[in-house]
Amino acid sequence: MAAAALEVKDLSTSFRTDDGIVQAVSGVSFHLDQGATLGVVGESGSGKSVTFLTVMGLVDPRQATVRGSVLLQGEEMLGASQSRMRQIRGRTIGMIFQDPMTSLNPVKTIGWQLQEAVLIHQDVSKKEARRQAIDILKEVEIPRSDQRVDDYPHQFSGGMRQRVMIAMALINNPEILIADEPTTALDVTTQAQILRLMKKLQAEHETAIVMITHDLGVVAELADQVIVMYGGKVVEQANVDDLFAKPEMPYTWGLLGSLPRLNATGARLDQIPGQPPSLLNPPSGCPFHPRCEFVMNVCRTELPGLDASTVGHDHRFRCHLDDEARNRIWTQKKAALVGEDAA
Amino acid sequence: MSSNGSGSELLRIEGLQKHFPVTRGLVFQKEVGSVKAVDGVSFSLNAGETLGVVGESGCGKSTMARCIARLLEPTGGTISFEGRDITHLGRADMRPVRRDMMMVFQDPYASLNPRKRVGSIVGEPLEVHGVGTDTERKRRVQELLEIVGLNPEHYNRFPHEFSGGQRQRIGIARALAINPKLIICDEPVSALDVSVQAQILNLLKDLQDDFGLTYIFIAHDLNVVRHISDRVMVMYLGRAVELGSRDDLYREPKHPYTGALLSAVPIADPEQGRTRKQIILEGDVPSPLNPPEACHFHPRCPRFVDGKCNVDTPELVQHGSHLAACHFPLERWPMSEDEMRRRTGAASVPVAD
Repeated sequence: MAAAALEVKDLSTSFRTDDGIVQAVSGVSFHLDQGATLGVVGESGSGKSVTFLTVMGLVDPRQATVRGSVLLQGEEMLGASQSRMRQIRGRTIGMIFQDPMTSLNPVKTIGWQLQEAVLIHQDVSKKEARRQAIDILKEVEIPRSDQRVDDYPHQFSGGMRQRVMIAMALINNPEILIADEPTTALDVTTQAQILRLMKKLQAEHETAIVMITHDLGVVAELADQVIVMYGGKVVEQANVDDLFAKPEMPYTWGLLGSLPRLNATGARLDQIPGQPPSLLNPPSGCPFHPRCEFVMNVCRTELPGLDASTVGHDHRFRCHLDDEARNRIWTQKKAALVGEDAA
Repeated sequence: MSSNGSGSELLRIEGLQKHFPVTRGLVFQKEVGSVKAVDGVSFSLNAGETLGVVGESGCGKSTMARCIARLLEPTGGTISFEGRDITHLGRADMRPVRRDMMMVFQDPYASLNPRKRVGSIVGEPLEVHGVGTDTERKRRVQELLEIVGLNPEHYNRFPHEFSGGQRQRIGIARALAINPKLIICDEPVSALDVSVQAQILNLLKDLQDDFGLTYIFIAHDLNVVRHISDRVMVMYLGRAVELGSRDDLYREPKHPYTGALLSAVPIADPEQGRTRKQIILEGDVPSPLNPPEACHFHPRCPRFVDGKCNVDTPELVQHGSHLAACHFPLERWPMSEDEMRRRTGAASVPVAD
């Protein structure tokens, strides 16, 4: 296995607000191998975006307290100087955000914005920067890229803008690409185009990708490793096949069950009752216990450790249920899912 | 359920059109063209049935919904509700019809007045239509809150005190207030998290069973539409390109666009995902201001035939089990991109993955 491109250990981020301390991320650990894809799944407020804002040094130190360790190719990022972080962002780590319209400057041409990224990080002439800008647009399959480079963001469609964002993130050939819900705002046919493009570019550049999403379908298509987050904690982690073959945590079961599937017919969805937890007043014990249908007394008081599963390599999860109970419940749940498929 | 929809015809739409004029000039506005947001859509809907409407952004699905609810004035075509033509009814004549037709909107944050308490939001339709006395209304509102799974004691709270899923429940309670027959849901779950989305979908199904509601359910998510609908209509640039019962349409799509849509949905199963046949369309949905000639889909279609698809507009006619507007409908499903390109339907071609 290649060296980890990114290793995060016991990362915690909390924000001071007028209402009290919000523990957005607590004790998150994972690692991302060179050229691999990590899917990060969770609902709103699960801490998935804050985790990676912290990794990139984008949380405001005046409001946030950060603990733990972020090793980028062996270099500690927490506590690194602002100038060092600026060198890293855009050069070692590229970023794509959900909404391409608000992430692009509406009064500058695409070419200007792409060149800026090159000129900040590389010691090259403007002419060379422009050539790189045109090349990368070609790579993200924008037709007539030598002309379109002088267009403004509003002259592009949503899918094209997201391609431009990808081009901007990749123009300095970063080791890691962090994509935060990159296809959520797009139509399905455009989403399919963008996912295919990301796979292609990853194969060519051997970029490691972090795919933050709420869509288990996108994770299944793109990721090698998956972490499932809930209430600011990692509640399950596994490689993608193991996670879908044998999820171990009731929240993951709930996510899979609540998904309407193309090959399933009108049966009732297996809904998770209640709302995601408030991080201002997080539940004691297991963060999922107020919504869990298998809750036991111990769940209310003790946070389960991240235990190893018997299925798969490095498959870990948090749950107090014993092996036998989990096997039994998952067999039933799976039967329900497959039963629908067969119908 | 397919047992639904056995009722009598509730709604009939024929050749519905909505064109928005495009003007130039500040003072002397001159019409230079029109956006044909909805361009000749026809369908009928039986009582107790759910019609799902899918399509990508800009296909006219929301405009169509707003025309049916008469929030927009249709440019052409007719809308009949319970056998009565309501296309051009005036405000006063329309009012009794509005009691039977309600809407639930996409954004639960924007569709509730932030300054009003939940009680008066949900009770407003009762007030507008002069139903009951104050105490009766209050009791009805509390009953409604309970029906949609909210605490009736939250009567006096403001919308900001609720989460997104709860707000959508408030929107649904408001739509139910005066026992409508038809509820038009415009992307009711798109803004919600998956676990909450499942709750709302289950709630809508329960309400349909309990009150015999008829739904028009608009969404861009094909999984969601399949889950909730009895029949499904696929729209592309203002036109219906395919219309059929849910199972027929999803098992055997006839229009290449429907096929491409179905194959573009990510599958939450890595193994199936790797082995399936995928059709990825090139390009984007063209501008409705200047849509392609004849079949609007022809520039992106793998089955395009020059001299036919760009000359002759296909009608929405019976192909196999259901209706599709295509000159060269798909012979079977699933298909790979390559197979789709062959228009002979040579089923003998070995399927290689």
